[in-house]
Amino acid sequence: MQIDFSFQETWFHKINPSLKFIFIVLLFIGLLFIHNINFLINFLFAPLLIYLFFTGHPWKRLCLIAIPFLIIFITSSTSMIFFGKGDITWFEWGLVHISEESFFRGLHLGLRGFVFAVLGVVFALTTRPVFLFYSLMQQLKLKPKYAYSFMASIRLLPIMVEELQTLRYALKVRGVQDYKGMKGFYKKLKAYSIPLLAQSIRRAHRIAIAMEAKRFSIVQNRTYYYQIGFSKVDLFFVIYFLIFILLAYLLTLYMSYVNIEDVRYNGN
Amino acid sequence: MKKGLKLSDILVTIIIALIFGLIYKLWGPLYGIVSTVGLHAEQLIYGMWFIAATVAFLIIRKPGVAFLAEIAAAQGEFIFGGEWGVTILIYGFVQGIGAELVFAAFRYKRFNVFVVSLAGAASAVASIILGFYYGYAGDLTLWNLMLMFGFRIISGIVIAGIFAYFIVAALEKTGVTNLVRPITTDDYKALD
Repeated sequence: MQIDFSFQETWFHKINPSLKFIFIVLLFIGLLFIHNINFLINFLFAPLLIYLFFTGHPWKRLCLIAIPFLIIFITSSTSMIFFGKGDITWFEWGLVHISEESFFRGLHLGLRGFVFAVLGVVFALTTRPVFLFYSLMQQLKLKPKYAYSFMASIRLLPIMVEELQTLRYALKVRGVQDYKGMKGFYKKLKAYSIPLLAQSIRRAHRIAIAMEAKRFSIVQNRTYYYQIGFSKVDLFFVIYFLIFILLAYLLTLYMSYVNIEDVRYNGN
Repeated sequence: MKKGLKLSDILVTIIIALIFGLIYKLWGPLYGIVSTVGLHAEQLIYGMWFIAATVAFLIIRKPGVAFLAEIAAAQGEFIFGGEWGVTILIYGFVQGIGAELVFAAFRYKRFNVFVVSLAGAASAVASIILGFYYGYAGDLTLWNLMLMFGFRIISGIVIAGIFAYFIVAALEKTGVTNLVRPITTDDYKALD
């Protein structure tokens, strides 16, 4: 089956991959210190706008990809909503205890998961893995042996998927039984991992030796097929996020959706 | 002898990480549904996230392999747009450090069930520490928190520790581990 995965190239594709990567990781760390749900809601628009308008992928595909976002939102918020600490009780039933604080904290967590999911998917949709690793080698001095190993493993992935599929059919056709519980889990894990590991390690080892012989791991005096540098777009990308962070901050100062400034529990 | 990992070590490590990523993907979604209830049943297979590190280390037995395996698993998930996005990168990073520290504490010379289980538990603990920042884990009611942590650590020990050990033991019988393991003094003795 051939899946059509064509897309339009936008300015977001042209950003230096290393810069994009580091910036997104920094955003993650920065957002860990944001406890104000109002700010988070305002900031949400920055990645969302990029997702909706600048990835260059068709609408249908974007909608399809967005489905897991909802699941992320639910799974990362529910346990906090149901079982979080809080004093202003809204609802209580057995072990479940929903309070105002726990509800908004849960919501905050859901939004957080959502923001990071969108950022991650935006990155994945607009970055070619090969360019990422070339850029990591050139800008961040990642050793070629790591970069080329990662690239080679990406190429091996389809073969592994195919093997996994074959294995599933083989187990099915031979009527291998499913056990329940932890024992079943182990049996299944073993049935799949042993043949896959054995085959793939042999293959990876062969390829690695060939790559070493062809001096893929050499560090000095390397030339690169793809030269990746910086451009104006990189500046634009950084400014885009800085403006949104500033806007979100200002908006939070003058207007709030909910009257909570810190979702962490500070009662007793 | 050159120090550090060779290209073949790196490639094999990454491949091992990707295989467990694939297996996890195969029946991972099933457990996603369970997790919405909030009782943390999904934590019981959380150890699948750590298994790449311990298996890779048991197979290759070199410093840095456990950490690299976790990074590779997270990176793979990230590059292909896994639904957890950036979060997974950071979690992979700390979990890798957790496992690596345990192996380092034993100077990369112990490969028994106990050490591997400890590494699995260490990954779980590392992810829990991050959970306090990322998931406000400290603001859950105590019983719920204990349930979550208990499940996760048990899972780390059972899956990333015990299961990983037995999987590699079974794999040794296929002979592929001889390809990638460094030569030991025992091997030289066998020649005499």
